[in-house]
Amino acid sequence: MKLLEVKNLKVHFPVKHGVFSRVNAWVKAVDDVSLTVAPGETVGLVGESGCGKTTLGRAIIRLLEPTGGSVTFEGEDITTLEGAALRERRRRFQMIFQDPVGSLNPRMTVGQIIGEALDIHKLVADEQAREQRIGKLLRDVGLDPVHAQRYPHEFSGGQRQRIGIARALAVEPKLIVCDEPVSALDVSVQAQIINLLQDLQREHGLAYLFIAHDLAVVEHISHRVVVMYLGKVVESAPSKSIINAPKHPYTQALLSAVPVVDPDSKRQRIVLPGDVPSPINPPGGCPFHPRCPVAEARCKTEVPALREVSAGHFTACHLAK
Amino acid sequence: MPLLDIRNLQLEFGTGRDAVRAVDGVSFTIAEGETLCLVGESGCGKSVSALSIARLVPTPPARYVGGEILLNGCDVLKMDQRELRSIRGGVVSYVFQEPSASLNPVFRVGNQIKESLKLHRPQFATDDEVIRLLKLVGIPAPESRIRDYPHQMSGGMQQRIMIAMALASEPKLLVADEPTTALDVTIQAQILELLRDLKARLRMSILLITHNLGIVGDIADRVAVMYAGQIVELSPARALLQRPLHPYTQALMNSVPQLGHELDRLQAIPGNVPNLGQFPRGCRFHPRCPKAQSDCSQKAPELVEVEPGRWVRCPYWK
Ligand SMILES: Nc1ncnc2c1ncn2[C@@H]1O[C@H](COP(=O)(O)OP(=O)(O)OP(=O)(O)O)[C@@H](O)[C@H]1O
Ligand SMILES: Nc1ncnc2c1ncn2[C@@H]1O[C@H](COP(=O)(O)OP(=O)(O)OP(=O)(O)O)[C@@H](O)[C@H]1O
Ligand code: SF4
Ligand SMILES: [Mg+2]
Ligand SMILES: [Mg+2]
Repeated sequence: MKLLEVKNLKVHFPVKHGVFSRVNAWVKAVDDVSLTVAPGETVGLVGESGCGKTTLGRAIIRLLEPTGGSVTFEGEDITTLEGAALRERRRRFQMIFQDPVGSLNPRMTVGQIIGEALDIHKLVADEQAREQRIGKLLRDVGLDPVHAQRYPHEFSGGQRQRIGIARALAVEPKLIVCDEPVSALDVSVQAQIINLLQDLQREHGLAYLFIAHDLAVVEHISHRVVVMYLGKVVESAPSKSIINAPKHPYTQALLSAVPVVDPDSKRQRIVLPGDVPSPINPPGGCPFHPRCPVAEARCKTEVPALREVSAGHFTACHLAK
Repeated sequence: MPLLDIRNLQLEFGTGRDAVRAVDGVSFTIAEGETLCLVGESGCGKSVSALSIARLVPTPPARYVGGEILLNGCDVLKMDQRELRSIRGGVVSYVFQEPSASLNPVFRVGNQIKESLKLHRPQFATDDEVIRLLKLVGIPAPESRIRDYPHQMSGGMQQRIMIAMALASEPKLLVADEPTTALDVTIQAQILELLRDLKARLRMSILLITHNLGIVGDIADRVAVMYAGQIVELSPARALLQRPLHPYTQALMNSVPQLGHELDRLQAIPGNVPNLGQFPRGCRFHPRCPKAQSDCSQKAPELVEVEPGRWVRCPYWK
């Protein structure tokens, strides 16, 4: 069974103008997205800035109200759950944020931050069990149990990211949405956190939806990769097949733009003209057609469907074979 | 004579017993038309070293305690305010990570570029020249863009406006401090392409600070690797990327995943970067170094030329 199943999810934000705040346009941040995550699987989510990755992640864990579509978690439709029922399910899916500073309350000790999650879900019987559990969580993420007494500002960026991970793990989730968890970190700290996430996955059978800009990081950690452009999924495939044989022209351009360490690499770079169009007025037909180097006449009018071009490899391009 | 010749630069923050040395004996040169990349972990002194070239680090809290910064043979550390004003944004121009650091939100971008022209090339402070600069950095339909405010442009376009502003004075040296960190890979590729092109056409020298070894492979002629306020390896880029010699450079390269290389596990560098003022005795990298010998905790190694053009601060590099 799938752990997470997202079907035709839409998140549209109203754009308001004028004194009466009339809604006169919509930002289609997430527009008809479907994807699945299996237990213990890592699905990477990539795409240009503003294409809707964070919005999708937040809608999945119900921090945002979807405009349409459904989110099914462990076989249960959670799209319209509210109140206590939603809080109860929240134990099973957590989020780690890009900014480790902004997401930790500076006035609480690390022990209080982690303990809060345990208390909300009544996961510990007494004070002693609580302390033991906090100590174990800190050890799990490579910190010292004595750190429970300290405040977030007393830690480095990488250590704060570990605190965020410990807090997410406290409730024993099945799925963690990681929104650029390593982008703000130094490369050597980044390696420590990625290794930690992989170790935790092996030990606890965790699944991740891993949002990141760095395609090398995404390739390394993900089993499958989903590529978004202007609120839509344009390609989805096992990571090896997407890195070695991308089918969508946007994915091809994205991969060719990654600078490579090898100075003798003879890769041809595809430079895309123009900037990403606004999601308020997305182009008709294929949303990528104004920048696409191989677009044909029908690309301007016909919306390409996401279709399976080889086993497990889906892409939304009229020309992909 | 190289365009820039930094010799044994020493800079401290704070005074008396609280003084901490953020830059400790940094030396490097940049020739005309050359691109040098400065890499290293957060807090190792890259920005402070780069800002020193136009003496832009506020003193106090900073204090220059030694060394020389020769720009066209003249020592920047001995210049008076008038001379400094003429090199800032003139011979040396800066591009920072955040467009908001250099672009004023309440002025139209065209006027901001014109201000820079008025200061450094007054005879060219015209709309035509502004449009030429915008074209140079690849802004489409520049005539219709000069009246835009910064917020009307995307992050990548704002970054290009900053570069246009930095180029207005026709600098000999462009210092770019993580100019693409906040951008997407496709926009990043456009900016790198632009820098390469400017270097070829204008024979401009570039000092580029980055965390990204891919960018080094893409654009650098030479690389300086910094750790805890010192340069630990200085080398032609190609040689360094193919065969890093210092244990820290090797560890840094092993810790980043590379596209298309399958790895079961990343090799993280154990431990943390030491804090300013708490550098370990001997080699500053020794507590984290996989090759450390018993005397590494005692003797501080010198930066030595071990092969032509390749400098390494480690006696056990072989
Ligand atoms: N609360 C909101 N109200 C209106 N528009 C919003 C809101 N949140 C996001 N958007 C818009 O939705 C689009 C998608 O934003 P989102 O943050 O999901 O992008 P992203 O893919 O995470 O980008 P990045 O890589 O820069 O983090 C953007 O155009 C953004 O401006
Ligand atoms: N105004 C200041 N007062 C005190 N210390 C400072 C000041 N500015 C910088 N430092 C310290 O000097 C050291 C070098 O800082 P610098 O900004 O050069 O680092 P960096 O290598 O550019 O790091 P990053 O990659 O994070 O930008 C750091 O330890 C920093 O904390
Ligand atoms: S001097 Fe010693 S500790 Fe320092 S890098 Fe070389 S081997 Fe490692
Ligand atoms: Mg985001
Ligand atoms: Mg810096």
